[in-house]
Amino acid sequence: MSVRALPAAVALAVLLAGACGAPERESVAGKRTVVVGVRPDLPGLGLRLPDGGFEGYDVDVARYLVRKLGAGIRLIPVLAAERERVLLDGRADLVLATFSVTQERKSRVAFAGPYHVSYQDIMVRADREGIAGVRDLEGKGICAVEGSNAAERVVEERGVKARLVPAADYDRCVALLKEGELDAITTNDVILAGLAAREKGRLRLVNARFNEQRTGVGIRKGDLDGCEAINRAITDMYQDGTAARLIAKWFDGTGLDLTSVHVPRFEGCE
Amino acid sequence: MPARIRLISGVTVAALVLLFATLAVITQGARTGLRAIGHDAGPQVVATAGLYLALSDMDGQVALLLLMGGGRDERRAEALLRYERSRTEAGRALLRASALAGDDAREGRTVQAVLDGLGRYERTAARALLLAEQAGYDAGPPPERVLRTYRAATDLMREELLPQAYNLTLESGTTVRRVHDETRSSLTTGRAVVAAAGVLALGCLVALQVYLARRFRRLFGPALVLASAVTAMYVLTGLHVSAREADALVAAKRDGFDAVLLLARARAIGNGMHADQTRYLLDPERADTYEHTYLDAAQSVLYLEATSVHAYHERVAAAAAAPEGGRRPAFAGFLGSALAMRDASGTRPVLAAYDRLQRSDADLRRRASGGETGQALSVLLGPLTSDFDRYDATLLDLAGQHRTSFERSIARGEDALADLWFLLPVAMVSIAVLVVAGIWPRLDEYR
Repeated sequence: MSVRALPAAVALAVLLAGACGAPERESVAGKRTVVVGVRPDLPGLGLRLPDGGFEGYDVDVARYLVRKLGAGIRLIPVLAAERERVLLDGRADLVLATFSVTQERKSRVAFAGPYHVSYQDIMVRADREGIAGVRDLEGKGICAVEGSNAAERVVEERGVKARLVPAADYDRCVALLKEGELDAITTNDVILAGLAAREKGRLRLVNARFNEQRTGVGIRKGDLDGCEAINRAITDMYQDGTAARLIAKWFDGTGLDLTSVHVPRFEGCE
Repeated sequence: MPARIRLISGVTVAALVLLFATLAVITQGARTGLRAIGHDAGPQVVATAGLYLALSDMDGQVALLLLMGGGRDERRAEALLRYERSRTEAGRALLRASALAGDDAREGRTVQAVLDGLGRYERTAARALLLAEQAGYDAGPPPERVLRTYRAATDLMREELLPQAYNLTLESGTTVRRVHDETRSSLTTGRAVVAAAGVLALGCLVALQVYLARRFRRLFGPALVLASAVTAMYVLTGLHVSAREADALVAAKRDGFDAVLLLARARAIGNGMHADQTRYLLDPERADTYEHTYLDAAQSVLYLEATSVHAYHERVAAAAAAPEGGRRPAFAGFLGSALAMRDASGTRPVLAAYDRLQRSDADLRRRASGGETGQALSVLLGPLTSDFDRYDATLLDLAGQHRTSFERSIARGEDALADLWFLLPVAMVSIAVLVVAGIWPRLDEYR
């Protein structure tokens, strides 16, 4: 062995020590700017403003969580049908767009959180009597929005024979409900609350609270560091009172029952 | 030419120092990692999962007491006793969780929040029980006033306290994953450095001997040969021990900790499912909600695609009756994933117990929706409760097996480390003495 090769070998050993342990794919936890997909079409949750910005509960939660990650945020609009795709093709790092956690979705994307627990609820015209729960929808006309399975669930899971009236989106449902073509709209209570707030007293929630829905943060499968960091940020959000404040900010006076703050039970990152 | 000898000796010493320093650092890292997983996070999962179970059981017993109304004195006394026992257990588990949270501020705040909430829960639950006693009704759904108070109590329990307890359990899983990954990667890096430093040190020792042999026409110096042998042995031992460390860590996490955590979650959710069966009978207005919660929870324990409880019952029956093949069953869900680690003979009894529980559940719902409230209550108190207890016992047994394997892996890792630590100073001193003994006489010849 040549004596001159010795220092080189020592340098190599030191280099080897430093090179290991680098992650193969970038985690959301280490990014400088995080791209978040939010809904452009739901008042109170994620709504695109005329100036191109976004506002709503999901948007505020996204800003809080990304700030906790120590990164900057860039928001992009995602519709219901695109939520998985933007994560899979890398257009968005996170999706906060009333994205309900389901076992079926978990086979393709991962979820941090949930950050909000809500229920499926029913919205009727303010003067409408006789609809207090899901069983009262028997024989009634309810809105079936494209891309949402909320109305089908009433018929299939609950066995309530309601009449499904197809509509392209929730705006169309609201119009049909006001015209009397429909008896009720049923979906996630926060979506209904946002719609009811816009109609200023013409529509109301019945607070039937069936079918618990867990709204999670969509994230690429396998990003455990990112998922765990977001869960810690969500814990902070509930501990420091931000969750209660944001829920009150967006849903106070909408008819949604805000007497208690439902702390989410995490799905776990795996 | 003593300069040459000094240079080679210097590099030899540097390589040996690097070797021993690396070994000391990685073994110390492995020791810290094993302690964090084995003596901190492991017990924390047990403590916080125990907290969840105790809390969930408290609310289940209150629901049962309210459902039984005025009759069934013996069962009422039993439920009251169980409530008290669970209350005591919750208090103890909170103390343990608080101690284990240590200086983690976030976990400390969660434990504090559960403690605060528990006081509020007890007051509300006691009021519901008092109102029930005053109302004096027969078995079945209580009057509205009682129900309203119970709803406040159970909402507090299910929407605040239980999720917080559950998230504490999950957080210890996070800790284990982090420590496991860090320790493994530092072991891998450390092994590379140990190997490189070992080769370097041995190369120097051999070079030194060759040089001395040529220079002084001696065949070999026995001290240096011995030093080389001890170094080689220690490098091999170090590599071997750190490989065993990595194995022990992987085994402790994958076959032990991960399974224990999955089963703890399955038991926690299962206890809630059992309480939801009681609440389903107790509160007709929310019966649909509780039925959906039950299905949702059941699917997170053992996922089978089904849109209604009935369909789920049928899918479970089909899965339990499936012919025994050599393949491992592939289910999703906490229990499903835990079962995926076992072979068919370990899986069958658990699946069978789960199927019996679902059959009794079907019976309960059939009678309740047919208006036979008394019969439904008898099913709940009789076969359903014993089926649940049997099912829960199979999970506990399974978790016990994984816990034993977890503790064995941790102990194995720690024993290997203890051996290496014992040998470290011995090897360092002996090599130093031998190197000096080998070089000194040669350097003397120059004087």
